Amino acid sequence: MATLIEHSSILIIAIPLLAAFLTPLIGMASKKARNVLVMASLAFVALLVFALARDVILNGIHVYTLGAASPGLTTPGGGVAPVRIILEVDAISIFMGITVALVSLVAAIYSLSAMKGETGQNRFYTLLLLMVGGIFGMVFTGDLFNLFVFLEITSISGAALIAFRTRSADSQEGGFKYIVVSAVASLMVLFAIGLLYAQYNSLNIGALAAAMQYTMLDKIALVILISAFAMKLGGVPMHMWLSDTYSVAPVSITVLLITASQASMYALTRTCFTLYGVTLDSAAVGWIIIAIGILSMFIGVTMAVRQTDITRLIAYNCVCESGFMLVGLGVGLAVLANPEALAAYGITAISGAIFHMINHALFEGLLFLAAGAIFYRIGTRDLNQMGGLGHTMKFTAILFLLGALASSGIPPFNGFASKILIYQSVYQFNPILTIIGILVSIITLAVFMKAFFAAFTGASLPQYKGTKEAPKTMIAAMTILAVIIIFFGLFPGLILDGIVRPAADALVDQSPYINAIMGAIP
Amino acid sequence: MTSIIESGYEFWNPIIWLIAFAVVMVIVYFFRRQGQEKYKKGEAQAQIFLCGEEVPEAEQRQVRGGNAYWGFFETLKEYYGGIIRPHTGIVNDYVIWFIAVMAVSAVVLFIVELAK
Repeated sequence: MATLIEHSSILIIAIPLLAAFLTPLIGMASKKARNVLVMASLAFVALLVFALARDVILNGIHVYTLGAASPGLTTPGGGVAPVRIILEVDAISIFMGITVALVSLVAAIYSLSAMKGETGQNRFYTLLLLMVGGIFGMVFTGDLFNLFVFLEITSISGAALIAFRTRSADSQEGGFKYIVVSAVASLMVLFAIGLLYAQYNSLNIGALAAAMQYTMLDKIALVILISAFAMKLGGVPMHMWLSDTYSVAPVSITVLLITASQASMYALTRTCFTLYGVTLDSAAVGWIIIAIGILSMFIGVTMAVRQTDITRLIAYNCVCESGFMLVGLGVGLAVLANPEALAAYGITAISGAIFHMINHALFEGLLFLAAGAIFYRIGTRDLNQMGGLGHTMKFTAILFLLGALASSGIPPFNGFASKILIYQSVYQFNPILTIIGILVSIITLAVFMKAFFAAFTGASLPQYKGTKEAPKTMIAAMTILAVIIIFFGLFPGLILDGIVRPAADALVDQSPYINAIMGAIP
Repeated sequence: MTSIIESGYEFWNPIIWLIAFAVVMVIVYFFRRQGQEKYKKGEAQAQIFLCGEEVPEAEQRQVRGGNAYWGFFETLKEYYGGIIRPHTGIVNDYVIWFIAVMAVSAVVLFIVELAK
């Protein structure tokens, strides 16, 4: 077991990648065997993630150096600089890992029914596993260039999956937009990495953080990295691609796309808190992130309430929820150089934002899966065409309502637990931000009441009289998310103390991350 | 206690909320029980319109999603006009917004630096 945990960080990335290449081969022989391979590999990866999480929380940062005589040997031959590819898993990385593991497993279970009857399933599962491997790579790597590589793997597989339904022009357009936006963001990230490499001769995040001088070039690199990751996570005004892509992808893939956006949020926080840390002008950068967050919250929710396509409506709500996270992280960053404010409310704002990341993936995932179940049964996403589906799709209706209440921050669900942390901590920084947040939550409730009443309530429409409930595996996948949402809602203290606070502490103090690579700095 | 979270300002305990919710539900149930028990199905009291007006077909009486919050959108017509216009659906525009954000962020950072 100890050996397994020692190599777990690379196994968590390698298993989905290897399974991705095996999937088409096994799929040619047997579809059942292929599905078993996909499910077994993701379930095993989830187990490894939980085992690694326990190890990281108990024993601290997990470092894995590829090709070294020992995984912990980061600077070979007594050198002073790390030269190999290094994976570095701290509390925030493993927090993201848990989110990815849960969501990818649920997405795969849901896909078993949702993709039944579709052609090209071998390619679908290959791409799904590649995307999962890419996201894990993004959150586990300790190397900036590898971050770029994994960002590319995630983007390319994501674009192919969005455009998977080749018969639909919307899907093709969505895939095209996603690849263009991703390519622009990735190339700018690569350019920023080049600026840093040119100055410090290193690509390792820990080594770069130790050497960071915050020069003019560093500032330019910082602006590029913030803008690129903000675009990838759908921050306003760079959010427009998000509704065009989330709404047309197969919903199990949309759930993974949410996780990919969360990985970009992780990359943004890793850049600001760990790579630049105390060297940057945290108040100015914090306010830039808060501004993007506030715009995302307000424009996201007001655009959502206007939509009549149920998946576009949820997609705009994703933009809005990302805004909450950005505001929490921005406030934490703005007071990073002020220890008193950081202790008084900054760390709580960061904790709330981190907690909201996993909550967002869970409840938006549930909402998308429920919307996908409706589309699977009635073949439309248009709310103007829907009505009375609650008569026949009772479970789907209840699960959608649960996701909607969680997203709107209604107690006792998980969304409330993370939002109250953000509201109360941000209030101490600037009350206006909290007032906007509460107003946005109220409009979010209005958004989902519109969607729920239009789709599920009212008299049973004649064209949907014979509609059946969603297939059992779809219901099972949605129920898993619903159970986690309720659990997180009822026991928020357990999640906060167990995985969220350690993740927030890992962000605000960059020295353990640097020391794990460079050795203790005297 | 694993249910409690503290923000440094106050605390939140969902178990207390659930107990309060259950008490309210019991009170609601008590009042509901005081209602009319002699309800008869299929008679005039079960009709949507007591005056006897004919009830339209399900399709006609369904309030569609597009009709919801008409007043809200009418009041905020100018806001929505302004906010929908940039959502062109053209990917070139998306990249321009990215460049604009990058430029504005850079200007803000450099102005702050100069002001120091």
